[in-house]
Amino acid sequence: MTAPKPLAGIRVVERATGVAAAQAGRLMCLMGAEVIMAEPPGGSPLRQEPPLLPGSDSALFTFLATGKRSVTCDLDQPDDRAAFDTLLASADLLIDDTALADRARAGLDQARISQRHPHIVHLSVLPFGAYGPKADWLGEELTLVHAGGEGFLLPNGLSADLFPDRPPLKIAGHFAQMQGGVAAAFTGLSALWAGGGQYVDASVQDANVAVGAFAIQRFGDGSVEHRLTRSFRFGGVIECSDGYVELLTLEERQWQGLVKLLEADDWAADPDLADAVGRSARGDEINRRIRDWASHRKVADLVAAAQELGVPMARYNDAAQVLSGAQETARGIFHEVAASGGTVKVQSLPFRFDPDALPVDCPAPAPGADQSLLEEPAQRRASA
Amino acid sequence: MTPLSGLRVADFTVHAAGPFCTHMLSQLGAEVIKVETALRPDIFRKSHAVYGRKGPATFDQVSSNKLSVRLNLKHPDGIALAKRLVAVSDVAAESFRAGVMERLGLSYDDLRAARPDIVMVSVSSSGQTGPESHFAGYAPLFGAWGGLGHLSGHADGPPVEMRHVMDHSVGMNAALATMAALLQRRRTGRGCHVDVAAREVASSLVGDALVAASAGITVERMGNGDLRRAPHGLYPTRDPDRWLAIAVANDAQWCALAMLMDQADLASDPRYATETARHANSATLDPLIANWSRQSTGEQLAASLQSAGIPAHLSWAASDIVSDPHLRARGAILDVTETGGATRAAVGRVARFSGDDTPGITQGTPTLGGAESYVYGELLGLSDTDISALVADRAIY
Repeated sequence: MTAPKPLAGIRVVERATGVAAAQAGRLMCLMGAEVIMAEPPGGSPLRQEPPLLPGSDSALFTFLATGKRSVTCDLDQPDDRAAFDTLLASADLLIDDTALADRARAGLDQARISQRHPHIVHLSVLPFGAYGPKADWLGEELTLVHAGGEGFLLPNGLSADLFPDRPPLKIAGHFAQMQGGVAAAFTGLSALWAGGGQYVDASVQDANVAVGAFAIQRFGDGSVEHRLTRSFRFGGVIECSDGYVELLTLEERQWQGLVKLLEADDWAADPDLADAVGRSARGDEINRRIRDWASHRKVADLVAAAQELGVPMARYNDAAQVLSGAQETARGIFHEVAASGGTVKVQSLPFRFDPDALPVDCPAPAPGADQSLLEEPAQRRASA
Repeated sequence: MTPLSGLRVADFTVHAAGPFCTHMLSQLGAEVIKVETALRPDIFRKSHAVYGRKGPATFDQVSSNKLSVRLNLKHPDGIALAKRLVAVSDVAAESFRAGVMERLGLSYDDLRAARPDIVMVSVSSSGQTGPESHFAGYAPLFGAWGGLGHLSGHADGPPVEMRHVMDHSVGMNAALATMAALLQRRRTGRGCHVDVAAREVASSLVGDALVAASAGITVERMGNGDLRRAPHGLYPTRDPDRWLAIAVANDAQWCALAMLMDQADLASDPRYATETARHANSATLDPLIANWSRQSTGEQLAASLQSAGIPAHLSWAASDIVSDPHLRARGAILDVTETGGATRAAVGRVARFSGDDTPGITQGTPTLGGAESYVYGELLGLSDTDISALVADRAIY
C-alpha cells in the first residue's frame, strides 16, 4: 500500500497563468495536496506554451500540471463566481497570479477573499509582488532573471572568455519563475503551519534576489560582481575531446588530487603553488594547462579518474544523459506519464520523504475534467 | 507572531546549500542553532581564495539570526551532546556527504532514538542513495549533472556553469520540503528523513525540457532566445554595459512597442506582424530594436515600456538591487547591523505575510560559540562546571 504523502488532506485552489504560480501548485500537488486548477474558459494559457509534444500537449504544461485536477470557471459570471466561492470554502490555500489591476473585478482581491474566506491562506504570486511601487510591473522569464541580479552575472567562465562583448545571458528554461514557485510554496506552507488564514504576498523578483544573495553580500564587502571577472581562477567549464566537464577544487586535498590527476609533479614542488592564494594568482597559467590536458581526453575517463581522487568533477549532461543517468535511474526520479502522442517522462520532486521518490502517476487533466468539484456542497476540509 | 515561531532547528549544515535552507527557516522565525567547531570551521566562514580574495563568502548572509555553538563531532561526548540538542529540536539539518552522519553516529535512526518524531533534513549533491551518492560536488557540478548547465549558454558556445543561485535554490527546495515534513508530523505524529538531492534540483529546473526530450524533441542551448516570444533579448542602452531585457509576449505588446518606437508601420509590416513572423525574422528585427534602445537610458526605457504594457527590465547589478525602493519597501532588501557596528545590505524575506511584518533578519553574524550559555546551559540544563569540563576535554571546541 502506498504511504500517505506529506500534504495529504490539504486542498489547494490554483489560478495560474504563469509558471511561478503553477510551479507552486505542482510542488504541493506532488507532495500530496489536492490541487484544483480553476482555469478560465478555454484553459490556462500555459497549455499553449511550446515546445508542444506530438499530439500538441505543451511539455511545460504537462510538467506543471501532472496530478492536478481541473475545473473551468468564468469569474465574470455570477453563477461561476458563486461556485468558485463554494470551492474556496472547502480549500485550505488559494494560489493566484491574477494581475493586481484585474483582481477586484474577478473577486480575487485580498480584502474580499479575507472577508469571505477568513480561514484560507491566500497566496499571491506575482512577478514583483503585490505591494511596493513596482507591484503592477509585468514580468516574463527573461526580464525577471535580470531583475533578480543573476542575469547580469552570466555567462561566466569559458563562455565569458569566448564572448566577452556579448550581452548578458539568461539561465535555461524558466529558472527565475521556478525560484518564485518554490519560494511561494515554502511561504504558503509556512503560513499553513502558523495556522489561521492570512495573505501571503510572494514575488518572483524577491525569490531571485534571495537566491542571488551572494552578490548582495559581495556588494556589502565593497565589490560589485561582474560576469567577466567572477570566474573561478582555474577550473570551471573544461572542454574534452567528446564533451564538457565542470571542475572545481575548493579544498586543499582536492587540489592535491588535481595535481595527481594531471601528474603535475612540478606543481607539487612549486612553493608558489603551496597555498590557495598563490594558486589563484597563477590561475590563468594553471587553467591553460588543464584545458590543454583535458582536450585530448574523454569525459567519462576524466570524471571517473577525478572522482576516484576526490577531485570534484562532473560531466555536462545533455537531456538524454540526464534521462538515462545511472544515478537518476537508480533513484527512480523519472516517471512515465500519459500525454498526447504517447507517454513522456516527468521528474518527481528533487527531494523525498521516504526511500522512494514521490510518485508522478497521473496525466495533466483536460480543461474542466473535474467540473463536478464545482457542484459539491460547501464543506470545510480537515485543515493542516 | 512570526510564522515559524516556536520551531527549533539543530543545524549541522555547512557550505552554501544547507545553510541557506536553515537561513530561510530562520527568516520566518525558527530558532536555528548552528553547530560548528574550531577544528574545521565551515569553509564559508573561512577565507575563500578561489574567488581571489581573503574574506569569507556568503557566511554573513546565511548565518545571520543563527545561534552558534561549538561542538566537536569527533569526540564521543560531542556526539552525546549533539543528540541532546536534537532531542530538544524539531528539525535536524545536515549537508555532509552521504554516509558521514552515519559514520559519526548521527544517522536518522540515531537521531530518532534521541527524538522519535525528529524531522531530519539531509542535503547532498546526489542524494543519500544510488551509485553516485558519494560524489563530491558544488553548485557548478549540480548544474552540470542535472542538465541545467548544458542547456544554458549561447547556441554556438559551451555550457554555462551555475553558481551560488544553484546552491541557494537547493536550499530553498530543502526549506520547502522541511515545512511539508513538519505539516506531516503535525498530522500523523511521525517524523521522517528528508533527502534533498542537489543535482535533482538542477534537473527539476529544466523539467519541461526533459519532458520534451523524452518525447523525442531536440532541446539545446538557445542563448537569450525563446521558443515563441519575439522580440526577446538584451538590448543596449545609451550607457555602457547597461542592458535592457525586453520580452514581447503577444501581438498587442508588439503593436505597443512599435508605437513607442515611433515606427507604427512595423506593427503591420508582414515580416513582424505576427508572433510567428517576428520569431522567424528576429535576425532583422533585433537590430531595429537595438538602434532604438541605444538612444536612451535604460531607466527611461524600462519605465516607458512598462507603462505601455510591455515586459521590460534593466539587467540589474547588486548596486541597483540594494538601493531599489521597491525591494526595500517589501523588506526583500534590508540593512543588518553587525556585532562590530558595521551596517550592510542583506537579503530579507522572500514574501510578505499579512499576519507578521517582522524583518527577516534581526541579528548579524554570530561569533563562533556565542550562544553556548543559552544552548548548553538553559536549553540542555548543563551546569557551568559541566560546560567547563566539556570545553577542557575539547568536546566543546
